Amino acid sequence: MKPAQIAAVGYGSTAYHKRGKSPDPERKLLLKAIDDAAAMAGIDTADIDGFVSYGADLQDGPRLTGPLGTKELRWSSLVWGGGGGGSAGAIAQAEAAILSGQAETVVVYRATAESTSGRLSSAVSQGVFGLAYRAHGIDAPAQALGLRTQRLLEAEGVPASALKAVAQASYYHANRTPWAVGKDLVLTDEAYDSSRLIAEPIRLFDSSRENDAAAAIIFTSAERARHLTDKPVYLLGAAYGAQGRWGEMDENHEPYHASSQAAPARRVWERTGLTAADVDVVQLYVNFTGPPVSALIDLGFCTAETAGEVLTFENLVAPSGRLPINTSGGDLAEGFLHGMGNAVEAVRQLRGESPNPVPGAKVCLVSGGPISELSSVALFATEQGGPTPNRSTA
Amino acid sequence: MANERDEVHPFSDRVDHPYWEGLGAEELRIQRCAGCRRWSWPADWRCPACGAYDMVWEQVEPVGRVYSWIRTHLPFVPAYADLVPYVNVLVELPQAGGARIMGLLTGSEEGIRIGAPLTGSFQPASPRTADLPVLTWSLGEQVAA
Ligand SMILES: [Zn+2]
Repeated sequence: MKPAQIAAVGYGSTAYHKRGKSPDPERKLLLKAIDDAAAMAGIDTADIDGFVSYGADLQDGPRLTGPLGTKELRWSSLVWGGGGGGSAGAIAQAEAAILSGQAETVVVYRATAESTSGRLSSAVSQGVFGLAYRAHGIDAPAQALGLRTQRLLEAEGVPASALKAVAQASYYHANRTPWAVGKDLVLTDEAYDSSRLIAEPIRLFDSSRENDAAAAIIFTSAERARHLTDKPVYLLGAAYGAQGRWGEMDENHEPYHASSQAAPARRVWERTGLTAADVDVVQLYVNFTGPPVSALIDLGFCTAETAGEVLTFENLVAPSGRLPINTSGGDLAEGFLHGMGNAVEAVRQLRGESPNPVPGAKVCLVSGGPISELSSVALFATEQGGPTPNRSTA
Repeated sequence: MANERDEVHPFSDRVDHPYWEGLGAEELRIQRCAGCRRWSWPADWRCPACGAYDMVWEQVEPVGRVYSWIRTHLPFVPAYADLVPYVNVLVELPQAGGARIMGLLTGSEEGIRIGAPLTGSFQPASPRTADLPVLTWSLGEQVAA
């Protein structure tokens, strides 16, 4: 594998406020997250010259240059389409900006506050779905993703226990994460099994809830990163997109039970020469528990046939599990920031700062927005050359 | 999910207008390429197989099978709140190249499963259905009307 050429040098994340309860408007939340990331990286915010977000974030680069004192704006971009599917795609855009020499110091971020962008009321909860959905009583992500999850369970034969394991592992890690919104909720079998049905097969505890928050990660060249920090987190590869017969298809995309991870995953594996067998820990986008299961299948961590035995609570939790996921609780239980928290936890985990450290973790995969119209993958490592590929289990 | 099909005004300029117009006339119409005869769903302006813009609409029987389904327990859509819990089906139309359309299941829910046969019935536009004519579906093979 070619040595990684860019690295994360700092991250910042605000508290996860209840939806609509942030004391600060969106842009102020974001500025504070960027401040924290810059402080960790030991750089002046004025030196940040690139800005990347996704998911229709309102806070474009030019809105931030004033308060950050930006010396020169050189890159401002948004992953176009796919909502949270662009979360790791924003990292791929930062990589493109730095590798091409367009920018040197790029911040990747996401900010949502109900008071500013009204995301939940206007963007996700009502009227976002087309008439082909609304005329029939379908107008919530839980319903559309319920249709896809039902297919995963009933036609592909993935046991519902895999969904439950994702939920329980998320809450288990959140219980050990001081700032997690799900810190005090112990998700026992009984609590999960008796939780109310939202849109069968999806239960309350299969569902994320939105928060007001902001988070940011600063990227620069690998060479510069080594001078800035003794804990650079290298980006081995990132990609976004979707396979054919995928996109805005009103439930006609193929394969229907899948995520849109297959194509970006293939490109990341080809580029790095690595496989799922080389990954120590995974941060997955969990809007609902079905999509991450589809993603894990498309990423090569299991198949529909083996999902039941691989995706168990014991396997999915740190420090002892073989496939620890969402080690700060993730979108479900740490807090929901449209997937941005997953990339932050990847960097935190590889810097050895996770609330649920995975012993000896060297490689962490971030899966952005499975089942979106496009989705994304980013692969991080503690070493610039990545790990030696593990061919035995590939 | 939300797309250009919903951003065109007037309504008659939408690419899927013939679909809704057909339902109002108690006909299920699915789009097809006039050139290469490929079924095209969801409706769009251009055939991805041959590049043609000459798209036509063909009437098909309102029967299909369950491709997937959900049972909604929360009043996500105010106009459907009084029906909670209700079942929606994603209906596969084998007679239209496997095009899939959504709909409400009415009548018995017994035996709901992927692959189960469905029969559609035409319903007039109402406030519940966003003022559009729709198909609702019931489990079972079509019975002669
Ligand atoms: Zn054609």
